[in-house]
Amino acid sequence: MLTAATHQQQFGDRETVPAWTGVVRHLHITPRAFLPMESFDELTLVPGKGIEGDRYMIGRESGFYSHKPEEGRQITLFEIETLEALARDAKIQMLPEEHRRNVTVQGVPLNHLVGRQLWVGETLLEATRLSTPCRHIEEILGKAVFDPLINRSGLNCRILKGGVIRVGDAVRGA
Amino acid sequence: MPKAIKHLQAVVREIDEPRPGVKRLVLADQDGWRLPAFRPGAHIDLHLANGLVRTYSLCNDPADCRRYVVAVKREEAGRGGSRHIHDELHAGEVIGVSVPRSGLEFSPAGMNIFVAGGIGVTPFVSAILALEREGKTNYELHWASMGHPSLIDMLEPAVKGGRVHLYNTLEVSPPDIKSLLGPLGEDAKAFCCGPTGMLDAFESAVAEWSESRKHVERFTAPKLVPTLNAQPYSVVLAKSGREMEVRPEVGLLATLDAMDADISVSCAGGICGACRTRWTEGPPIHHDRVLSAEERAHEVIVCVAECAGARLVLDL
Repeated sequence: MLTAATHQQQFGDRETVPAWTGVVRHLHITPRAFLPMESFDELTLVPGKGIEGDRYMIGRESGFYSHKPEEGRQITLFEIETLEALARDAKIQMLPEEHRRNVTVQGVPLNHLVGRQLWVGETLLEATRLSTPCRHIEEILGKAVFDPLINRSGLNCRILKGGVIRVGDAVRGA
Repeated sequence: MPKAIKHLQAVVREIDEPRPGVKRLVLADQDGWRLPAFRPGAHIDLHLANGLVRTYSLCNDPADCRRYVVAVKREEAGRGGSRHIHDELHAGEVIGVSVPRSGLEFSPAGMNIFVAGGIGVTPFVSAILALEREGKTNYELHWASMGHPSLIDMLEPAVKGGRVHLYNTLEVSPPDIKSLLGPLGEDAKAFCCGPTGMLDAFESAVAEWSESRKHVERFTAPKLVPTLNAQPYSVVLAKSGREMEVRPEVGLLATLDAMDADISVSCAGGICGACRTRWTEGPPIHHDRVLSAEERAHEVIVCVAECAGARLVLDL
């Protein structure tokens, strides 16, 4: 007979133990709007502020249409699975630096994390809202990615605990 | 209120004058960051301090994304852009630069014939640098210039390889375009940039060619495509009473931006709702994908909307 205790032992407590563990595949920032994102092996996250050197660091915003600072957009995440789906379903090759989010993850269900907290390496993030695609990216890339990215354009987060994140870091729910 | 960022900021790293009357500018990011990539023959808009916006071809190798190089001939009788660059712009200044656009599609196997007059060579300089870097020699440049050609130093390997044909029009006639293009095969492509007379002669010479085989370079920005039969209308900001005409090729969002309207914009594609605004006179033509029919009766997503009436009054 499956008791509550054995159920928890076998399947875990859904409230405290997430059923997924992901990994950081790529890290990108750019210091100003319109400039290409550049790849880094590690980035430094400053709690309540943003990523050192990135355009959306609170206090130095210079992103496209970002003249109104947004505290919940200190760091952005994107699923590598979306890039694979774009190639497979829409025949659009989109590179990790082209989606213009900071952290490309694998195995992380970003759309289900709004309002939740997650660990990325040693740092702790709070997911604030889903990202929306923007026409600006289409203009920059010359690729018709706006519609294919609706509802899968990444996740905006606030940085609760800062530190260094690295390619290969584990991503897990908090 | 700070305005939305519409172009990147570049510092003028160097200015030189390869021949009198032609200034060559090297633009770069202030921290040496990579600039947006560009295709051979692409051009950019320079947003000059006097409010003028002027388009110039990039003439460095597209593989070199740490800088943009443009060459500007002083046009005494022009509209002021080149005079400003020649007289007012100095190294160290920061100016706005658009993302590069357009570019040239070469014939991969056939000959590519570039026909240039004077400073009209600029789009072909980046094209030739790209072809040379790839080891491709299936091209010729026919370049007419009054006196010493201005950017010849950028084409040294091509000149040594015999692929550049110069016509100093102080001494010889400009090229006979028809006879240049006559013997080419069906897989050849031809490109032209220069003064009006040269463009007319080129277009006459290639009149029978298919559109895909010929390219005339004119420095005009690509037009936005408005809704079929769209009419101009006025947008009114109710709180300030300001009013401006919205021309279809400009659109509502760019007009509101020009008016310094206090709106947030994010997706610019009618899905995020950041720019939803109440309207009191219209009616708007809704192109968004977020508002319900009930909401549309009094709200509008301005980043994608148009107007069916003569005036669109917004609660701004």
